[in-house]
Amino acid sequence: MGKLISAIGVRVLLAVLIVVALGPILWTVLGAFKELRDIVTPVPKLVFEPTLDNFATILRNPTIRDGLLHSAIVVSVSVLIGALLGIPAAHVLARHARRYGDDVQFFVLSLRFMPPVAIAIPFIVIYLDLGIYDTLFGLILVYLITTISTVIWLAVPAFERVPQNIEEAAAMEGCGPAEIFWRFSLPVAAPSLFGALVFTFVLVWNELLLALTLAAQNATLPVVAASITSLGKEVPWGVINAATVVLVLPPLVFIGLLMGLLNTMVRSGPK
Amino acid sequence: MTRKRFVTLSLVPAIGLLATLALVSVAGAVWFSLMNRTLRSADYDFVGAYNFLRLLRDRRFMNALEISALWEIITVLGTLALAVLLAVMIFETVKKPLWRNLLCFAFLVPVLLPRVAAAFIWRFLYSPSLGVINYLCGLVGIGPVEFLADPSLALISVAVVDIWQWGLFFTVILLKLLETLPRDPIEAALLDRARTWEIHAYVTLPMLKGPLISLALVKAVESLRSFDLIFVMTGGGPGTATETLDLYAYQMGINMGGRISYASAMSILLLIVTTVAFTIIWKAGKKWAS
Repeated sequence: MGKLISAIGVRVLLAVLIVVALGPILWTVLGAFKELRDIVTPVPKLVFEPTLDNFATILRNPTIRDGLLHSAIVVSVSVLIGALLGIPAAHVLARHARRYGDDVQFFVLSLRFMPPVAIAIPFIVIYLDLGIYDTLFGLILVYLITTISTVIWLAVPAFERVPQNIEEAAAMEGCGPAEIFWRFSLPVAAPSLFGALVFTFVLVWNELLLALTLAAQNATLPVVAASITSLGKEVPWGVINAATVVLVLPPLVFIGLLMGLLNTMVRSGPK
Repeated sequence: MTRKRFVTLSLVPAIGLLATLALVSVAGAVWFSLMNRTLRSADYDFVGAYNFLRLLRDRRFMNALEISALWEIITVLGTLALAVLLAVMIFETVKKPLWRNLLCFAFLVPVLLPRVAAAFIWRFLYSPSLGVINYLCGLVGIGPVEFLADPSLALISVAVVDIWQWGLFFTVILLKLLETLPRDPIEAALLDRARTWEIHAYVTLPMLKGPLISLALVKAVESLRSFDLIFVMTGGGPGTATETLDLYAYQMGINMGGRISYASAMSILLLIVTTVAFTIIWKAGKKWAS
């Protein structure tokens, strides 16, 4: 009997935990398909007639559409440049430049300690003076701090895990360092590197403060979403929910990857 | 291509760009903090340490300092406490790998959400008139609670969202770490008839001291970047009840007349405090963990 009760207790606990983790998100997804009169009810409604109006409102709204487009451009370009510059640097730090590798790594990590306001405030003035305030180029440039440093930070361990004898054997065959990197280290480290890029993508996609301060008309989706609390008189909860869903989708696609990244990190030994 | 040229070619662009951007922003902040520059006018003069001296007498700045410290303490301790508690509980009660994986997947979802999205999701839940939480409160007879408009509740209510995102994420990491621990010490403790909680308090958690310190440091750094969450949920209000340093610097530098120099002085102080604090914690943590 006691066993049965504890077994049921475990099930209940599991259910509660899953509801706490996912419930808020699912509730928002439901809200995105509700008309306002189904949202503003004294008793929360689970059964209602779903509508696509909220999503239509979003996609018809030019500001939100532009935000989506700007986000896509800024995030993909800054992650791409971050990868092009960061991955070779990480490989060199892991293999060829051990001597000052630690100092460089500490510098890279210290960039992540830097409070974002400390970057944002001086950059407003500098951007205004240079005439690149409120441009996508300006946003990409400032996001490079995040993408390059994050890529290096996560890619160094990935290259350290590449078995050294592969690279040594290639060197014996007469391959140059660039060829070893391109033909041997990069393919072996590729899965972990992909995870690192995804993590970087999520960081930049989610960023608000820098986009809010350094852009006005050319802002990204988080800025646009943060500003739609008042379209008209009533708080348009349905539209807000729909915008939230659009904002949430891209990072969630990568959840499986994040899980894999965690598994390899834990297995390779806690730092 | 020679080795030396390869090393230079791959290292210099990345590190050079990073160093330039970092140097420009820090040097810019120091430079502007010694001026009286605003966004409104193009003229400015050198004013020396005036901005810093004024900060020390600024009540709102002191309040922001206090709120930031409180925010750090609440979110770091809350996240770690929740993660340790849940990880141990799941480790002990959920044995089937399928269920564990399912839980892990569910727990990873919140941390992937953009902060802006998480903020909206919870503002919707907290809403006094149509929020689910207040509906549940109503069922047990507690009248509508103004989670985000009550100065004494607002900071905690926002912190709950942060802990929801990061506590569940750290639970997954801790659970995976617990799974990698060797079984021998645990079985030895079982032979000594230690109770379950004793095993974890005296055997497994001390074995995970190093990773726990790293996690605390990661969370402490991450908690400094909570601008998005607080900005969308309360905007620093009610009054200044949830106004952390970065929110105040933002309000000063952009919203309230663009007092760039004053905000720069603030961000310089913030930079110094965090750098010193993290270097000390980093060193102490390394010493303590080894």
